Amino acid sequence: MIAVLALALGVAAGIFFEPTVPLGLLPYLPIAVVAALDAVFGGVRAKLDGIFDDKQFVVSFVSNVLVAALIVYLGDQLGVGSQLSTGVVVVLGVRIFGNVAAIRRHLFRA
Amino acid sequence: MTVRRDDLLGDLFRTPLDPGYAAAAARRAETGAPPPRWGRWARAAALALLGFLLAVAYHQAVAEAPGASRARDNLVADVRARQRTTEDLQRRADELRAQVDQARDDALADGDSAARLKQLAAGIGTGRVTGDGAVVRVVDAPPKVDPVTGKTDDENLGLVLDRDLQDIANALWQSGAEAIAVNGQRLTSTSTIRAAGGVILVDFKPVTSPYDVAAIGPGDLADTFGRSATAKRFKRYVDSYRMQFGVRARKALVLNAAPEPPLRYAHPPSPSVSGSPSVSPTVSTSGGHR
Repeated sequence: MIAVLALALGVAAGIFFEPTVPLGLLPYLPIAVVAALDAVFGGVRAKLDGIFDDKQFVVSFVSNVLVAALIVYLGDQLGVGSQLSTGVVVVLGVRIFGNVAAIRRHLFRA
Repeated sequence: MTVRRDDLLGDLFRTPLDPGYAAAAARRAETGAPPPRWGRWARAAALALLGFLLAVAYHQAVAEAPGASRARDNLVADVRARQRTTEDLQRRADELRAQVDQARDDALADGDSAARLKQLAAGIGTGRVTGDGAVVRVVDAPPKVDPVTGKTDDENLGLVLDRDLQDIANALWQSGAEAIAVNGQRLTSTSTIRAAGGVILVDFKPVTSPYDVAAIGPGDLADTFGRSATAKRFKRYVDSYRMQFGVRARKALVLNAAPEPPLRYAHPPSPSVSGSPSVSPTVSTSGGHR
């Protein structure tokens, strides 16, 4: 319950303040979103598995976002930014897909 | 089944869940310690951050995508507004020209010279004329569409070029036309038909497909033109490039006057030489001083 409320609050804050993203951070935004989604789906799955842990969730959330941004930044500096972003998206995409499949099995038993 | 620990990709596909969760659960089961109190708030903060991130990313994506189309819409609106202004100015110029003509006719009490002036103006294109003649219509070929991808082919050989309109106009003159207008733009002795950036300009005013070249001339103008080499060439274009081309005789055509070309460097000769006292030596404010 508190989780849903917090999520709604965050969305409302984002809509309400309409912050302008600095140009330098713009390339990291999509990757950060994908990394955050990965952490969230992992958390939901852990919850359904009955092994959810707050510390693990928060740490994985923050580190996922930071590491994803760091990889993209590193790639940009090395001139392989788009390839590395693709790699990050593929890895996170695979993980999200696997976790969502597990959630689906939990919810629908199929 | 043995799992090789260094199989990174296989690991990734098999265990999408962070192993940290399982480890934490095992540790908790071992020690039996309750989860820390700050946990829920940290979780809530992380989720609020996620919501914020999602909203910002969505906002960014929405704000970015229509930027290009918005700029384009603004440009289109600009173009429309300018076109309206041009049309207004053109209408005003026509009104003023009619007034000038009227005033000149009034001033020239001598009906003979007024009629002669009108005749001359009609001849050179700065006077309205009416009469029977022919209309030649050429239309750009439709762009080729790829049946598979639905994309239009950039290369269209059936587009009407400035040269084509020049040829048609010249062939019409040759066939005995006395007055010609392209899409309402009357041609004079100093008119130009040329292309600039894919647009055909007649006297620096853009004309677009379909192009109607109207000409007033002898009764057999349409037939004479239809037999000309230019017309035959365009009929070939119709077959090979799907350009559209047609010649029709038309009764009671009305061709508008062309704007009088502003003379910047040329003067009529001074009064003493020409012997006509009404001509002023400076024609910068050109009205009816001819």
